[in-house]
Amino acid sequence: MSHSQSQPLVLGIETSCDETAIGIVRGRTLLANEIASSVEEHARFGGVVPEIASRAHLEAMLPGIERALKDAKVSLNDLDAISVTAGPGLVGALLVGTASASGLAQGLGIPLYGVNHLAAHISVDYLTHDLPTDPTIALLVSGGHSSLLQVNDITGSITKLGSTMDDAAGEAFDKIARILNLGFPGGPAIDLDAKSGNPSAIDFPRGLTTSNDWATRPYDFSFSGLKTAVARYIESAPAHIRADVSASFQEAVVDVLLLKALAACKSTGIDSLVIAGGVAANSRLREVATERCAKVGIALRIPAPGLCTDNGAMVAALGSLMLSAGRSATIGAFDADSSLPVERVSLT
Amino acid sequence: MTISLTIDTATSRTIVGLIDGEDILFEESHEGATDHGRAVSELVTRALRVNSTPDQVIVGMGPGPYTGLRVGIAFAQSFALARDIPYFGICTLDAIEVDQDNYTVAIDARRKEIYWATYQDGQRIAGPEVSKPNEAPPHIFGYFPSSLMMVKLAMKQNFKELFYLRRPDAVPTAERT
Repeated sequence: MSHSQSQPLVLGIETSCDETAIGIVRGRTLLANEIASSVEEHARFGGVVPEIASRAHLEAMLPGIERALKDAKVSLNDLDAISVTAGPGLVGALLVGTASASGLAQGLGIPLYGVNHLAAHISVDYLTHDLPTDPTIALLVSGGHSSLLQVNDITGSITKLGSTMDDAAGEAFDKIARILNLGFPGGPAIDLDAKSGNPSAIDFPRGLTTSNDWATRPYDFSFSGLKTAVARYIESAPAHIRADVSASFQEAVVDVLLLKALAACKSTGIDSLVIAGGVAANSRLREVATERCAKVGIALRIPAPGLCTDNGAMVAALGSLMLSAGRSATIGAFDADSSLPVERVSLT
Repeated sequence: MTISLTIDTATSRTIVGLIDGEDILFEESHEGATDHGRAVSELVTRALRVNSTPDQVIVGMGPGPYTGLRVGIAFAQSFALARDIPYFGICTLDAIEVDQDNYTVAIDARRKEIYWATYQDGQRIAGPEVSKPNEAPPHIFGYFPSSLMMVKLAMKQNFKELFYLRRPDAVPTAERT
């Protein structure tokens, strides 16, 4: 048996929102990453409709598993474990994934790991970069979450430093895109529109950055004030240049995310930062993060854009890391937990 | 004989059975409208202790409240895939045994509505439908599907889609007032 064959083969299932995603990894090697999205069915509603997402998950599940196995050139009987997102997310959507994962694991007689979606977002980085031996700071930014975390051990020890007090960063992108008639989802649309705009054209507010905020809640975020400021600006300046609004809004989000992430690195003395989650695919965030981290000597790691948004590879990656770390599988039956806190890396 | 693993999560009850021909090797249920995820897994574990190698899986395709219903179907289809055995979808209302020739049977659809179907001499002649109880024919309520009946139905029916009798609640942005 070659060295790579001795690494555990894990299939991961992710259904927390509108992506039915199946990933397969062997150890830390990505073998398959199948994603079926129902995003177009949600677009005319301006957001994800839970019942539509859940219906789409059930329809896409078996074809997704079969495609992933084919891509990875493995069979179900080769698998060593199943890993599934147990939360947080939409409960009806999560349940399609956890029930499918339980059926597979029980049918195959192999262990099942019910893992945390947020921890999985961070863990996907280890498919491309080496595991840190020391703690790292993680900025987790997506449509549903925005938090700053201290990751001591991705398989079991994560501490939350702060999180958003209102909208998630990705949610702010969606809302501003709607105001600017750029459609849904807003992240990629604003990213593209902003490329032809001036990021310093309009000085939009950076939430929770007063000296009082830095003293009392340095690692929390707030994006609702920014959203209101953009809406007011558009009303007051009918002749505005849309690309400038996009670029300036995006700059405000990127700036405040990095100000707080780098402050967390500085105050904890940790010189390593991982940026993960769907918003980590934003080109301006990647660009500014690279510049600022280089300037202060922080090792920055951001997964490839395709692995930032929800995917099954990240769930498989976390399952594989847990198996390798000797973490016990989720014992017996479990239910999805729509509000699973990030500190709970897995249900055990 | 063919051993069938049956799973139904269309009602508040999670029902799992193991049927060998006409013999009930195992049939247990768990009451709890939000417990289907945990219950399916636990009951199947117990069923497999009686016989660990069923030849086919039979699953109720509803109608029934969707979140719980999907749990049973998702589990059944992936279990069948893992074992490389066939699975068959049956209409849950058809699997409710009533000792009458002509009747309408109903199960809870939440939101003060019911899912119902009407039968005459063993044939479904109306439904499945969803409506307010007073808009349905006089009906029998409070019965649950039988695992043995599910196996009999699987000889003649195989529904690929679950019975979605309601549209998702959502209003397109363009139609909002």
